[in-house]
Amino acid sequence: MPPALFPTIDFTDIGPRVGERFPDVALPDQRGELVDLHAARGERRALVVFYRSARW
Amino acid sequence: MELQRSLADFAANDVAVFAISYDGIDVLASFAEKHGIGFPLLSDEDSHAIRALGLLNDRLEELHAFYGVTTRDDMHGVAHAGTFALDAQGIVTDKRFLGSYRVRETGAAVLERSFGARGSVRGPEARAQGPGVAVRAYLDEAHYRFFQRLWLTVDLQIETGLHVYGRPIPDGYVPLSIDVEPVDGLVVGDREGPAPQPFRMDRLDEAFVVYSGTATFALPLTFTKRAGDLVVRASVRYQACSATDCLIPTTLQLELPLSQINHVDAEI
Repeated sequence: MPPALFPTIDFTDIGPRVGERFPDVALPDQRGELVDLHAARGERRALVVFYRSARW
Repeated sequence: MELQRSLADFAANDVAVFAISYDGIDVLASFAEKHGIGFPLLSDEDSHAIRALGLLNDRLEELHAFYGVTTRDDMHGVAHAGTFALDAQGIVTDKRFLGSYRVRETGAAVLERSFGARGSVRGPEARAQGPGVAVRAYLDEAHYRFFQRLWLTVDLQIETGLHVYGRPIPDGYVPLSIDVEPVDGLVVGDREGPAPQPFRMDRLDEAFVVYSGTATFALPLTFTKRAGDLVVRASVRYQACSATDCLIPTTLQLELPLSQINHVDAEI
């Protein structure tokens, strides 16, 4: 095996699982307006992105 | 991820986009203005939602130690970096977390791999024709950067009445293989694709598994070095056979040029 060039973590059980309803989340957006994720997507599918930071 | 570039493609496929981080609203407001972000950047400043969802990155020190980065106090509270795909009922249908905040996919890759759609953001494409099989290969993007993950997608169109072999395979036969010529720092991950189907040849006792019709495979390419502009050279080796005859084993070469970009404004 070559040495790992980046660490890997098994994410199967970290956070909501495939097949589960994504939990309700309501948070303010960049304009300070509260966004209820499921209400805002309505009948649409959704991509929910978690990222480190917009600052660093 | 350069998500903003693919935002219209997500919208065209009826996919709403949300991003969540532990940044304050003011940070997100100036970020959104600077980069022309047209989707909600949600502020979870105390990481309450991130914790409740079980997504707090509690392995930051470990990751930073791996990369030789010092962890500042204000870095605690970040989420693991990754994406969830939700269907119209809000059910999670795909989850893409790459284990390291450094490794990122493109928005185009997530659109294709989580939502099954190709958008307007596309990388280089190459085609080749061999006995019984036409191959098309493409990359998500025309450029890469440090720790970018791009997917190499390879479509095989196998002529009706023919098949190509998968693995496991008896000695003396040529299975389908898709290889990428080594490039300094390029890590090629495991091939994804359909499972080959059992196939029994007349008069032969050996068991085969085969692909037929259209088969689409994908290989994750992670660029862990700044290797400059380069060409991804993929080779597809196979032998096409019918129930009674085989065509000559063939290796098709596909060349996909990529340019390196050094500067990325934002990880999102």
